[in-house]
Formats: sequence, C-alpha cells, structure tokens
Amino acid sequence: MKKHSSMRRTFAVLLIIGLVSAMFMALPVFAGSDGTEKSAQTIFGLEDLEGKIVGVQTGTTGDIYISDDAELKLKGVERYNTGFEAVQALSQNKIDAVVIDDQPAQAFVAQMNGLTILDTEYVKEDYAMAVQKGNTELLGKLNEAIAALQENGTLQTIVDYYIDHSGEGYSSPKGAEHPNGKLVMATNAEFPPYEYYDDNNEIVGIDADLAMAIGDYLGYEVEISDMKFDSIITSVATGKAQFGMAGLTVTEEREQSIDFTNPYYTGKQVVIVRKSAGAQRETIIDRFKRNFVQAGRWKMLLSGLGVTLVITLFSTLFGVLIGFVVAIIRSTHDKTGGLRILNIIAQVYTTVIRGTPTVVQLLIIYYVVFASVNIPKIIVAVIAFSMNSGAYISEIIRSGIMSIDEGQFEAGRSLGFNYAQTMRYFILPQALKNVIPALGNEFITLLKETSISGYIAINDMTKVGDVIRSRTYDAFMPLVTVALVYLLLVFIFARLWGVLEGRLRRNG
Amino acid sequence: MILEMSGIQKSFGGLEVLKDISLEVDSGEVVSVIGPSGSGKSTLLRCATFLETIDAGEIRYMGKPAAATGSQGKAVYVSHSELNEVKRYFGLVFQQFNLFPHFSVLRNIMDAPVFVQKRPKEEVHAEAMELLRKMNLENRADAYPCQLSGGQQQRVAIARALALKPSILFFDEPTSALDPELTGEVLKVIRQLAEEKMTMVVVTHEMPFARAVSNRVIFMDRGVIVEQGDPEEVFGNPKQERTVQFLRNYQR
Repeated sequence: MKKHSSMRRTFAVLLIIGLVSAMFMALPVFAGSDGTEKSAQTIFGLEDLEGKIVGVQTGTTGDIYISDDAELKLKGVERYNTGFEAVQALSQNKIDAVVIDDQPAQAFVAQMNGLTILDTEYVKEDYAMAVQKGNTELLGKLNEAIAALQENGTLQTIVDYYIDHSGEGYSSPKGAEHPNGKLVMATNAEFPPYEYYDDNNEIVGIDADLAMAIGDYLGYEVEISDMKFDSIITSVATGKAQFGMAGLTVTEEREQSIDFTNPYYTGKQVVIVRKSAGAQRETIIDRFKRNFVQAGRWKMLLSGLGVTLVITLFSTLFGVLIGFVVAIIRSTHDKTGGLRILNIIAQVYTTVIRGTPTVVQLLIIYYVVFASVNIPKIIVAVIAFSMNSGAYISEIIRSGIMSIDEGQFEAGRSLGFNYAQTMRYFILPQALKNVIPALGNEFITLLKETSISGYIAINDMTKVGDVIRSRTYDAFMPLVTVALVYLLLVFIFARLWGVLEGRLRRNG
Repeated sequence: MILEMSGIQKSFGGLEVLKDISLEVDSGEVVSVIGPSGSGKSTLLRCATFLETIDAGEIRYMGKPAAATGSQGKAVYVSHSELNEVKRYFGLVFQQFNLFPHFSVLRNIMDAPVFVQKRPKEEVHAEAMELLRKMNLENRADAYPCQLSGGQQQRVAIARALALKPSILFFDEPTSALDPELTGEVLKVIRQLAEEKMTMVVVTHEMPFARAVSNRVIFMDRGVIVEQGDPEEVFGNPKQERTVQFLRNYQR
C-alpha cells in the first residue's frame, strides 16, 4: 500500500515536470513572433535617440561614452553582461537602441532579422592591448611585435579574414617555437569578430589570432582565458593574466589601473536599431538541433553538467567537514565553556560567511586571496563553496546537537565516558539523524548556488548554457534546458534523500 | 565507609540550595532521601555524582578524596585521572532513564563496560544477559528503547548502571516519570537489590517504599537535613515539626 502511494507521488511529480517543460516549449510560439513585425523603424539618426533607452555592454567604451553623454538626452542606459544580451533585448523591444562596436554590430545584424545599423557612427576609437602597470619589458616587446606585424601585413591578413571573409587568415608558421614560456590573455569571448567561440569550441577572432601571431613572433605560447568583460582589467592588474585583449579602447580611467600598448586597430562604436521586417519562423525541432546538435554542443552541456556536479559534490564533502568541526567547537564552548579562542574564530567565520553574498566570496577568493597563485579555477570554486556551505552546515549541525536532551550528556558522563566520547558515540549520531532533512536542503541550495561559478570563468552548466546562447542567438532553448536539468537533478536527489531519511527513521 | 560527604555547599546564582550538608553511607546501607521539591535532595545527589560541582565541602569515595575545601574556602577537585578513578565506584539511575535511543537494549548495557572499562566483550555480554534476566527483560535484548514501556526502560537503565559493578548506586526519583501502574515493577527491582545488600541512595517520593526498604531515611528541607534515622522512627514518630507537616501532607 505504502509503496503504491509513493510510486503514485513520483508519477505525479514527473507529470508536473513534463507539463512545465511542455509549457516552456509552447511559449516561444508566442514569444517568437515578437514585436518586430509591428514596430517600424523610428530611429534614423543620433538625434532620434532623445527620450529613448539605449543598451550597452557593461564596461565597454560604448558604456563609458554614453553614460557621460548629456547631449543625447536619453531616457536611460541599460547595461548588459554581453553585447549579445543587449542586442537580444533590442530585438525583443525591451530597449530602443544598442551602442556597440562596429564589427560585432555587423555580425549581429547579419544573424538576426529586423535590425539595422545607423549610418552615422557614434564614436571612433583605438583598440590596444592592456598589460600590468609598470611591466615595461612586456609592453616594449608587444609594441615591437604590433609594429612588425603591421609592417609585414599579417595584421591585415587577419582583419581581411574576419571582416571581409577573404583569404586564409593566420595560422602559426610550421615549426613555430615558444622558448620564452607562456602568456595568458584575458578576454571576453562574446565579441565577434574580435573574440568568440567557433563551432569547434575554440576561441577565435581578430584579437585571438593577432595574439597568437604576436606570441609566435615573440616566442611565447599564448593561452586564452575567457572571463566577464569587467574582469579583464582586474585580471591584468593583479597579474592573473599577462595581457588583456578584447577590443579594449584606451581611456584615462583604464590607464589608472593598467598600461596600454600602441593601438593595433581603429574601431567604431555604432548604433543598432530595429527596422520593420518579418521575424523568421523556426520549428522547435530545428531550434533544438541548432542549439544542441549542431557543432556537438550537447557535449559542452554534458561537460558543464560534469563541472557542476564535481564542484557541488566536493564542496558538500568539505562543507560537511568544516561544518562538523565548527559545530563541535561552538557547542563544546556552549556546554563546557572551553575552546574560547577557537569559538571566537568560529563565530567570526559564520558571521562573515553568512553576512556576505556568495558571489562576492567567490570573487574575493579568486581575485584577492589567490591573486598571485596559479591554481585551477575549479579548486578555487570548491574552496569558496566549501567555506560558504560549511558555515550553514555548521549551524545546522549545531542546532542538531542543541536539540539533544541534556540527559544524554549526563548519562554518558555518569557511565564514565568523557566529553569527546559522549559527543561521538551518543550525541552526534542522534544529532545527525535529526538534521538529515536540513542537510539535504543545504545540498540542493549548494547545487544551484554553483551556477555563479561563471563569474570566475568556470564553464559550469549555467555558463555553458550562456555560451550556447551567445553563439546561437537563442536565449530560450539553452536557458530552459539548463533550468530543466537542474530541476531534474534536484528531483532525483530529493527522492534519494527521502529514501535515506525513511530508512534512518525506521531504524529507531 | 563507601561515601563520605561533609560540609557540602552549593548555590545557583545566589540561591543557596545546599547549606553545609554532611552524609555518610556505609557498605550495604540503603538510604532514602525524602523531602518537598526544591529541598535540595536531587542537587545533593547530582553533587555526589559530579554532575554539579560543589562550592565548598569534601567528598570521598572508599576513603579516596574527590573534592576538598581548599585554602580559599572553595572546593578543589582532584585531577582528571584521579576523578575518573573515583567515578568507577558509583552508578546513577536517572528520573528520565536517559537510555541511548539509537542503541539496542544490549548495547546500552554493554557499551560502558566494553569501551570505558575495556573488559572482554564475551564476558560483558554474558553479564549483561544475566542482568537482563534479573530485570525480567531477557527477551528484549535486541529491542530499542522506544519499543519499551517506561518501567522496562527504567529497568534497562538500572541494568546499565549495574553492569559497571559500582560499589554504590544512586537513584534520582526513579519512578517519578512513570505511570502509577508501572512504578511497582521498578520498585520491586530496587527491593531485590536491597535484599542482595547493594549499597544504594534513593531520592524518592514513594513513602511506603522508603519506609519498607531503606535502613535509613533522610528528610531534607530548604537545603539542610532536618531529620534522619531509622525509617520506623522517622515515619512513625517524627521529632521535628517540619517532618510532621511534610508527612501529614503526604498521607492525604
């Protein structure tokens, strides 16, 4: 009877998940026929931007210029993490125009229907590479390489390939040697044609290829590290990356944190607006194929899932260890008055961790604590999430210990067990059993919390969904799929945990 | 003398609970401690078993000191290891049984002899089964505490205390948490132990039991021993007005 009803419950939950996904699948039929058909082009020049909302990518020169521009009399500026998000918001009628670099603007307009670029450019700018302040040796070498590559036509070959799609582009000469070691390049690979992921999951583009050419010229191997745009300057300034290259324009503000090379390219900031045009229809299956089957993107998703699981599992493991130690320190102090110093440390730890956002902790651990240490990012994430979750787990376990009757401690002591033995044999087993539901809940929270790993450029499941989105120009499919995978993981875990709980309850 | 306590003082936040109490228990004696609630009888027992620390006074078991009044008039306990030695002499049975709910009856009884006293498992097992037989619980060895009645749990708790072979056994209101129809089976066990000349101190509200089983009755009130002596004397012919009053209230 009991088994039967639990099966029925499983079925009901699966049904709900199925319905929710079906609902999501149906949604784009409405969302897909977005406003592009209705709204005719209303903006033809910069003067038409008055009273409009303009989107930019956070931290780009477009953002910097437009935020200080009083002449345009804008209604507001919306800042997005990527240029793609801004363009997508534009095509969904959320904003009226996007100010963005000329080259990616052309790529976006070619890919998405109903958008056009204004004839008048917004601003002209020079692109340069960023290096750590005071690193004159590297600065000199890079300037020398840029000059040489401009001289011998390599730069032009690269630009031709990516902008006019002509020629062979650049590839390392046969037998290129890199005796001088490795240079890490910080970039934000969501900025075609300067840097973006190609269908082989490799970062390519004008900047990427030029960096490689410079590396070959100077005898360095170049490793590209993909991160959020606003992290690039920090990375270079703290020495995490030797140079930054992401269509970076020379501004005074940036020059306070890093040094710029001579410009290698002159770009334009242009304005993208909507024009009237029919939206392209696409079946769900085509859309699914385009997002996941094409270029084997499902493999990316799978590896993202793996990363998410690895971070979650290890963080839970160490989180429980930390939580245990902290909980025992704190309850020992409460019960016996001992361990005063450790108790103060434990209290500070829980207060700080619980009082600050997890994202901030993650960024601090990566950019501050391990600023000058070369350590795999996954380990950084595991450290950050373990510390974070340890604080919460310690409170869970402590509440479990405190819920055990004082008589149990007294019984242990009256039988000749010391405090530690009483704790270990009698109190903790009971306390743990009491907090099993709360621990399961903490695991679920942690699993979803790891979705912020993308902040330090880890390709976890959420970040992969985002990368796919930036390549297929489809927000719906990758994001909803990622959401469903999380939902499924949590569902499976909750079921397993429920079984464990039931088993423990039956054992008295 | 198995237990000697003298000049025991204990306060909780300014409230004097024990005022200069002295108590000696000789081998084979069964001492009942009676008195109204708040009289300090449970505190006395908790001080004797080191669950509370005394403020001043002296405690000895089998002549070995556990605590003595130091130079500043405060009680000073002996070292950790010496105290552990002394702890072997007594056992304690709680009002709320305090069995370990996650262990079986047998494991509850065997754990301390095996892990604390480091005695061979087979020997302890045989003794534990013998104790359970004595408690009339031999068929409940594998049960968990939550599957037992209160009376059965308390009998397991007594077996658990006896398994350590104490020289003296303390009972802190052993029947107060039980339904009236279950007190009899626990009292029967204590009576049986008395017949076997087990040295015991029982804090209790069961007056007929105290009168029938103990060799000595102590009546406590407001932190002092008001009257003590032969049970027939104390119950039949109390000398102190306070004792008379207390016993009269009880008979109603």
